[in-house]
Amino acid sequence: MTDFSIQFEIRPSSGVPIYRQIMDQVRAMIASSRLKPGDMLPSVRQLSSELEVNMMTVSKAYARLEVEGLIERVRGTGMRVRPQEHTGSLEDRQSELREMADALITRGQQLGLTESQIISVVRNVLKERRSWSKI
Amino acid sequence: MVENLIETKNLTKGYGRTAVLNGVNLIVPKGAVVGLMGTNGSGKTTLIKCLLGLLRIERGDATVLGCDPWNLSAAAKERLGYVPQQINLYDWMKVDHVIRYTASFYANWDYVWSSELAERWHLPLQKRVQEISPGQLQSLALVLAIGHRPELLVLDEPLASLDPIARRDVLRSLLNLSDDGSRSILFSTHISADIERIATHVAILRDGRVAYFAELDDLKEQVKRVRLRTSEVFPTNFRVPGALRTQVEGGTALLAMPNVTDSLIEELRERWQADVAVEDLNLDEIFLELNHHD
Repeated sequence: MTDFSIQFEIRPSSGVPIYRQIMDQVRAMIASSRLKPGDMLPSVRQLSSELEVNMMTVSKAYARLEVEGLIERVRGTGMRVRPQEHTGSLEDRQSELREMADALITRGQQLGLTESQIISVVRNVLKERRSWSKI
Repeated sequence: MVENLIETKNLTKGYGRTAVLNGVNLIVPKGAVVGLMGTNGSGKTTLIKCLLGLLRIERGDATVLGCDPWNLSAAAKERLGYVPQQINLYDWMKVDHVIRYTASFYANWDYVWSSELAERWHLPLQKRVQEISPGQLQSLALVLAIGHRPELLVLDEPLASLDPIARRDVLRSLLNLSDDGSRSILFSTHISADIERIATHVAILRDGRVAYFAELDDLKEQVKRVRLRTSEVFPTNFRVPGALRTQVEGGTALLAMPNVTDSLIEELRERWQADVAVEDLNLDEIFLELNHHD
């Protein structure tokens, strides 16, 4: 886990609060299987000192991810990635994705991409993710 | 209960007839790292000096570590560390002598830590104070201010004369100091990048008052730039209640807004038949928006 923090790209002077950047990146690591269920996250102290940010910032990010159910607190050890549970019906989960798909298509059309070109972008990203998770 | 290490109510201070501070309300909660921002001449140093009893406040109240700052007890002083903007040390003393001399005033001085800091910041212990660089002087002053691990640390532009590497080092030590949440730091700066990594709260001083005080995360989450585009032309007197700043250019309007909500966006979209885009602002941009005078 010592190389964990180098996977983070924290931009303190972004308009996005640092704790949100940490949350987004942990989410992305879980989604792409760079973090797998059962993996331990670095301690708050360790991550805050490696990223050189306030400890409260890291504990805030962890606490929110815990509320979201992505990670769980293991007494005396730290934070662990939880098994991915998909709550809600397939329909619900798909409709949650719809909004983002809508935005994606709009942006694609603004860039002058055709339907099949947009779909191929999605396919390529999925393919990249699959190769990531094999590492 | 959250204990506040610093609390002021309507603090007022001027020089002669010029009012510098005109009703400052500020709190520094326990464990908070508060970045005090303000343009040059906004009264940051005056406020800090009032809080330390170096200047006498004219009206209003101030409590620092439970004391009236003008009559800080010896016990309160043991819990307090301060680095002024203008550092005055005995020029003829050697660096290690200054450290030992200062340490002798404190029953709770941590010699191991002060030596460690001196080494980490490459302080030339055998040189005289008059021979060291401005950056080294600033680092030395910081060692002197934090060697007794104060509960409250007050820093007036602590990073001003440090190079980028020394800056990061000092910021790292400040993070270490605030680590266990029992210590608080108030530091003034006009450089927002210094605040963004370590501050939990931001207080923005403007026109002699604290114009804005919030947790840094909340500030970034709440203050947004809203861009409206419509096929019509916005009236020149276009205003949205609560906007910090409004700029209109034909069919485009730019707002800087605290408390941007979904319902507000929806309302603007319907009312003006406009495309509404919400942009995040970083601290620099927020600072500029809050200091913008129409």
